[in-house]
Formats: sequence, C-alpha cells, structure tokens
Amino acid sequence: MPLDSFKYLPRSIAAYYQTIRVDRADPIAWTPLSKPLSECRFGLVTTAGIYDKERDPPFDAERETREPMWGDPTYRGIGRDVVQGQIGASHLHINNRDILADVNIVLPVDRFAELEEQGVVGSLAAETYSLMGYQPNTSEWRERYGPEVAGLLKDEAVDAVLLTPA
Amino acid sequence: MLAQTFEKAGLSTVLVTMMPYWAEKMGAPRTVGVEVPFGHPLGMPGDREMQMNIIRAALSLLEETQEPGAISEVGVEWPQPSDEARKDWQPLEASPIIKMMRDQAQARAQERRQET
Repeated sequence: MPLDSFKYLPRSIAAYYQTIRVDRADPIAWTPLSKPLSECRFGLVTTAGIYDKERDPPFDAERETREPMWGDPTYRGIGRDVVQGQIGASHLHINNRDILADVNIVLPVDRFAELEEQGVVGSLAAETYSLMGYQPNTSEWRERYGPEVAGLLKDEAVDAVLLTPA
Repeated sequence: MLAQTFEKAGLSTVLVTMMPYWAEKMGAPRTVGVEVPFGHPLGMPGDREMQMNIIRAALSLLEETQEPGAISEVGVEWPQPSDEARKDWQPLEASPIIKMMRDQAQARAQERRQET
C-alpha cells in the first residue's frame, strides 16, 4: 500500500491541504553527488524550530501569536556536540515533547557521529542549522535566510545535506 | 524549497518527510517518504534502530539516484495506534493560526444565528 501523507492529520486539515495549489519547481535544481558517501562531508538542516538555549534566543513565537499569518524566518546554528539538555524548541504547531527527549528524531547529530565513526559517511560538519517550518510567506527564506544557510554550509565544505521538516 | 536553494548553491540534498505528497508537488530533488506523525521525521525518541533505518534509506537514495525528483519510501512500524498518534503530535495548545480560524468560524456561525 502506498504511503499515506495524510494519515496523521485531522481530516479537516488534510482536506484543506489537498485544495492548495503549488508551483512545481521546473526544472528541479540538481547537484549530483560528486563522491562516495564515505568521502562526503554532511550538513544537517531541520525546520523543527529548535535552538541551543546556551547560545541563542528562541524563535519569535510572541510575534506569531500576535500575527498568526507570520512565522519567524530566521535560523539558528547548533553545534554537532550539543547535548540534549541545551536543546530548546519553539515550534507552536507540534508537541515538542519528543524532540526535547531526543533531538535525533529531527537533528540526528548522534546518529551521524556514529556513521562517521563507522566510515559510512566522510564527516559531519561542526555546525548544523535549524529553522522554524511554519512560513505562510516564504520570501524571506528564498531571498535571504535560505541562501545564507547554504553559504555557511559551503564555507564548511559540506557536500550533502540531510533535510528534515518537522 | 530550501532544498532548491541548497542545490542551486552546489549542495546535494535529501529530504526525509512525512508528507511526500508535498515534496512531489513542489519538485523536491530527492525525497524519502516515511509514514510517521509530524515532528518525528526520523522516528521515535530513543529508538536508535528506527532512526538509523530511516537515515540509511536517505543515504541510499542520495547515493543511487541520478533522477531529479526521485522519491523512495521507507517502511516504519509506528508503535502507537494511529488514532492516538494523530492526537499525540499536536501541540497542547492550538497554534495561533488554528485559534484564529476557529474564532472566525465561530463568528460566522454566530452571524448566521443572528440572521435567522
């Protein structure tokens, strides 16, 4: 049976989602993987709205509460050696409990450290990135923050990125 | 969408998502679909094996496909009954947009009652 994208959505929201029209990227942007996985440096990027409490403030949930059609478009850097207790979560559209129990379900820093140790991947970059996925208007992501994160990953000589929306 | 930006900058991307429906519509470069509740793209907290299975599926797609828009699926046995899981991922307090939509629906219902 094919995978059901709407299995865990309330029916009203699932029905609404299926009425939304989106423009498909044409052509689809494409960078071929240039080397074996075991030589690739990986970056991790999630849109789970998490942050390192010892480094950064949360995403701006207060403004979103005042302006429900706005979502904080900025990003946060999170070091690969972050410990679970440093992780904060400010996504208002999911229950953050499980992320606060194990960040690897959205930002798999420990799993990639293991894959690096095993030689399956070349390396995991020192810095990972988090954005907050509720973006009714995506222009700031497209024009500013997306390219900024891409530039930071390139600066770290990242070859490939695992992306995890929440 | 971020995937498009990253690919244009010379990064190869693979997206792991519970909504491959969207990924296909938007033309994500490489997608692994996984049937999990929102907020859990890589599985259950503390379940290293489930997390690694999903990550390995993403790495395989990255390594193997040369086809822009490729989508693969990875099977996951979610340990909660789906009715329970459908509620459990949702925030304890409704998000601002959901609250706003509820308020608007209530206001419309009240207007209709006043008209009749």
